[in-house]
Amino acid sequence: MSESLKSLFSEYYSNLVGKNISISSLERVFGGASRETYKILVSDASGNQEKLVLRLSQDSSLIETEQKTEYLAYTAFQNSNVPVPELIDMNEGAEILGKPFMLMKELEGQAANPFSPNIYAPYEKELGKQFWFILGQIASKKIDDKIFKKLSLDTQEPYWKIELDKWVKVINEDSIGMEPVLEAGIRYLYENSPKLNYGTCLVHGDYRSGNFLYLKDKITGILDWEMAHIGDPLEDLAWALSPIWSWQDKLKPAYLISREEALKIWQDSSKISADQKYLDWWELFAAIKGMAIWTSAGHEFKTGTNIDPINLFSAWIPGDIHLEIILDFLEAKL
Amino acid sequence: MKPEINLALINAAQEIIGRFSPLIEDEYERSRLGSWGALVLISAMKFNDAASSLEKENEDIIHWLNPDRDDLKKMKEEGYVGDDKTFDQLEKNNQLLRHKINQKMVNLEIDKDKKALKEAYALMRSMHQRRKVSDFIGLLQQSES
Repeated sequence: MSESLKSLFSEYYSNLVGKNISISSLERVFGGASRETYKILVSDASGNQEKLVLRLSQDSSLIETEQKTEYLAYTAFQNSNVPVPELIDMNEGAEILGKPFMLMKELEGQAANPFSPNIYAPYEKELGKQFWFILGQIASKKIDDKIFKKLSLDTQEPYWKIELDKWVKVINEDSIGMEPVLEAGIRYLYENSPKLNYGTCLVHGDYRSGNFLYLKDKITGILDWEMAHIGDPLEDLAWALSPIWSWQDKLKPAYLISREEALKIWQDSSKISADQKYLDWWELFAAIKGMAIWTSAGHEFKTGTNIDPINLFSAWIPGDIHLEIILDFLEAKL
Repeated sequence: MKPEINLALINAAQEIIGRFSPLIEDEYERSRLGSWGALVLISAMKFNDAASSLEKENEDIIHWLNPDRDDLKKMKEEGYVGDDKTFDQLEKNNQLLRHKINQKMVNLEIDKDKKALKEAYALMRSMHQRRKVSDFIGLLQQSES
């Protein structure tokens, strides 16, 4: 794949920039479950180099998402308080590189393994402040009308129901076995629905530890917007707070700062006062959504559609953790 | 006496992680092989008691469901086979039983029977504790480093 991709990309990018370029290196990044991500270093005849990131749709991916969604989300936050990569191009067809793709400039920084405690030491406090501040900025950002319309669904249903229906459908379609805890969690959500939208924003959809780049004590980019959608701001907050992202140190969500500090920073940044009653619902929803994603991964693996070990890992480890979170929640509410 | 299957898997995993994976220059392929090594190691550690744990889980569920003779007869007609201890059959039985747990829980929720629901959650927690592999998360971190 790499050699043919190199040749296809070289031809495509030379045409795009109007000069001959060569590819100095092309490396696939491990871990992405919904996109194949490549870091590409290109050089022109004068020796000028450029670092790029190419995101290709997977033949089979955990959750089917369109390149356009991610592209629109990145577009919405260009030159804002939310650091995102500079976009170069997007193509929804397979005629150029064999698959739909999105191309952007590489940002400085590294992404952490979300399951590693102390990964951000000694900068967890500074990074924590930025992480929750930026999420507040996403929640309160006024989105361009055209982008808003393109990402909105033609329905009058409340956001909680749109999202819950969507993920329950994934569970029903991809389930490889009965899990009574999960079923009980789903029933709880439908029976205790929030009844109203807590606000409207462009929801990142996967805002968490591991999905941002950082350089020492500075967050340099918010990545992986492929599940972005218009929805309730508490959805992102609850997903980012989920204990799965700090399983070995639950007092510090995302292995950064305490939950109390995180909520205060988010509320100051978003100007939204999060009611714990509603947040509770979204926190259980986060675990159900997680289970849908891990169920889908297990299905991909079991059916042989995609035997990448990330799919087996997802079905085993995060699947276990989110199930335990649901169980903890239901027992506490009894 | 021959070396056991789980020992074979443990050694294979260690070779993958410690010997073969570091030889691969391509970062993506190296990480992918390292992950396979860690997953094989987890498999090896759960392999030995996988069938006996599942059998115990099924017994615990039957005990909690407390079926009468007619129910047991019906379960057999539905595919539940008491004497077959192969993993596939135990798994099939387990799925049948899990559907029954779910049906019973729906009724308990309608009846708001908190005491019985508490017992149901206790059962599900014991099932989860026996099955879960998330405690091995450290192995994956080690393979990564």
